[in-house]
Amino acid sequence: MNRESRGKGGKIRRFSTFRIVEHWGIILTTMILFATGLCQRFWHLELSQWFILKLGGIDNVRLIHRYTGILFSLELLMNTSVGMMGVIRGKWQPSIFISKKDYEDAIHNIKYYFGFENHPAKCDRYDYMEKFEYWTILIGGILMIMTGVILWFPTLVTRILPGEFIPAAKALHSNEAMLIFLLNAVWHIYNAIFSPEVFPLDTSIFTGYISRERMIREHPLELARMEGVTPEELEKDNPGKIRDLKVEAAAR
Amino acid sequence: MKVGKRIPWILVLLFSFPVLAVGYGHARETEVSDVSRKCLQCHGKQGIVKTFLNEETVEAYVNPEKIRTSVHNFLTCSECHSGFSEGKHPSGKYKSKFQFRLRSSSICRRCHSADRIKAKPVHATLLKKEKMGESPICTNCHDAHSVSAASGGKVFSNEKQYCQKCHQHELSMNFRDGGKMSLKVDPAILESSAHGKLRCSDCHYGYSSEEHPEKNFRSRRDYVIASSESCRRCHFDNYTKTLDSVHYDLLKQGNLKAPVCNDCHGSHQISHITHGVKGGLITTQRCKKCHPMIYEMYAKSVHGNALINEQNQDVPICIDCHTAHDIQNPMTLAYHEKIPQMCGNCHANPAVVGKYGLSTDVVKTYLSDFHGVTLGFYKKQREELYKPARPIAVCNDCHGTHNIVSTVSAGPTSVKKNLVRRCQKCHKDATEEFPNAWLFHYKPSFSKFPMIFVVNSIYRIFIPIMWAGFVLQILLHIWRYAVNR
Repeated sequence: MNRESRGKGGKIRRFSTFRIVEHWGIILTTMILFATGLCQRFWHLELSQWFILKLGGIDNVRLIHRYTGILFSLELLMNTSVGMMGVIRGKWQPSIFISKKDYEDAIHNIKYYFGFENHPAKCDRYDYMEKFEYWTILIGGILMIMTGVILWFPTLVTRILPGEFIPAAKALHSNEAMLIFLLNAVWHIYNAIFSPEVFPLDTSIFTGYISRERMIREHPLELARMEGVTPEELEKDNPGKIRDLKVEAAAR
Repeated sequence: MKVGKRIPWILVLLFSFPVLAVGYGHARETEVSDVSRKCLQCHGKQGIVKTFLNEETVEAYVNPEKIRTSVHNFLTCSECHSGFSEGKHPSGKYKSKFQFRLRSSSICRRCHSADRIKAKPVHATLLKKEKMGESPICTNCHDAHSVSAASGGKVFSNEKQYCQKCHQHELSMNFRDGGKMSLKVDPAILESSAHGKLRCSDCHYGYSSEEHPEKNFRSRRDYVIASSESCRRCHFDNYTKTLDSVHYDLLKQGNLKAPVCNDCHGSHQISHITHGVKGGLITTQRCKKCHPMIYEMYAKSVHGNALINEQNQDVPICIDCHTAHDIQNPMTLAYHEKIPQMCGNCHANPAVVGKYGLSTDVVKTYLSDFHGVTLGFYKKQREELYKPARPIAVCNDCHGTHNIVSTVSAGPTSVKKNLVRRCQKCHKDATEEFPNAWLFHYKPSFSKFPMIFVVNSIYRIFIPIMWAGFVLQILLHIWRYAVNR
């Protein structure tokens, strides 16, 4: 973690090159999976039919979808195994796991939005919203892979499981896809692009660096730990900078 | 009356014959000669019958009125009936009526020589037959005593009557292969047909009171095929459709057994279109002529049985699926792809299947499932990308084609057993359990396929809640940000 956080002109390293490449991989594979999957789910739409015919027909679309699915599975496997290895070897803290503090932070932020708190929740490396997104995609991804395999090999599956599992897997696969798609289309795109705090784009996952300013606002606990100070000391050193929009606005 | 006294009269008549023949070219009313009047004293009364050796009879009655208006009214009886006179009345012995008429025809030929009559094409044909040993009988077409001018339309009120004059008799047409076809047309049948009001030449174009071209066909079948071309003149739309049909393809390939218009519709007895059960039965019988095995299967199917035994007019007949004129080859992929739509014509229509308690969702559930979607895309791909497609299971692959049985009466066990066999055609290693992956046209509900129902229900609740949560959080975030500013 220390290696990653070494400053570079007021910027702090947040993501390693491996994570940057991994994110690009996820962008590409999910985009292909969504495009080839949603057009199959909404096959009756003109746009879907145009797209499928452009790709050379439904068989091609299914083939692309399945092989990209394999790529996605490998990425998911790599993400979890690299993460787990890092944690086991004591290199990283298990910062992505959901804790009791995340629920408290969520309630704290809702109170803050309604004006009952004068500053937002102070978060560590990943805030509760990032964690929610990660776990939704991870668990959703596993479900998608499992149901995808069932749909790919229906005859094999019915040797072990009842036939009804096939249409059930299809229902789960397309519903879960919609859930992940909406999560990405609404939540992730808002947070990474349209949120007034990062607009026009949160570049940290592409460059690997995040400004110290944003670290103070968004991940004060992690920054304090990185700099070997307590959160209170960090707040004292940087008055009004810990994600207090009201204070921030007043200062402008 | 003594014959001797009348001889000068006869001589006068004989000598004046060429002059009179010109003057009486057309029927003109005149008084019959005294000689003839004498004959008519007996023969003008009904009831005189001549019996032949084979017991056949002919009435010897001659209508005086008819003879007065006939073209031969200037002749005396004995000019044709030579040997008969006031004093002589020999009793001719003929074997049969036919022999008598044949003999009578030779009387006509005394004046109407072969050279004179051959100018008419119809006579030319008859004279040709005569050479081959088949003597024509004049009175078949021209009446014996009331013989009238056959041309000029002055005597006949219409063309049909004119043609009927000859074609009411047992005429026949010879073909090069030795075959024969009767040319006799029953006026009653013609009159009651759908074409009852047409003129003969409307179909037999090129034929009229003036023209009667001689046709020379190899076989009867050749003639039938050629004559079906006549239908095109009025029924151009249906005729054009037949050019795209599988039957016409066969004909083009040289299969003369392939049906043409009159094989299904008939020729002079073409009937009016019959709707309902009766029409259905007639049509299926027509197809049966060439497709008896398929008809047998159909007759036993749930559809055929209902038509034949229950007089049900909701069930499909051959032409409902195969069409009547542009019948496509049912073995092609293009035809195969159209099947769900064909079945859907009735099975997705509540007005047709509703009263039998059948679900109208069957087509929708098929089309929205894996096979239905794939089929839809394969069809589009073939049409737009010219991509060859694999056959995908459609309605008849599971339900059967001509031998469709009710899934209710067959029972679920037999349906499933058939289904496994069908699945294995494409999914080689499919097990007994595999067909259960198909929802049998049911929509998942709590009682039918609960697993799918539960999955769908959870997401139906969960997705909107999550989505609402996201939007709320975003709106609150923006609101807080704006308020703070």
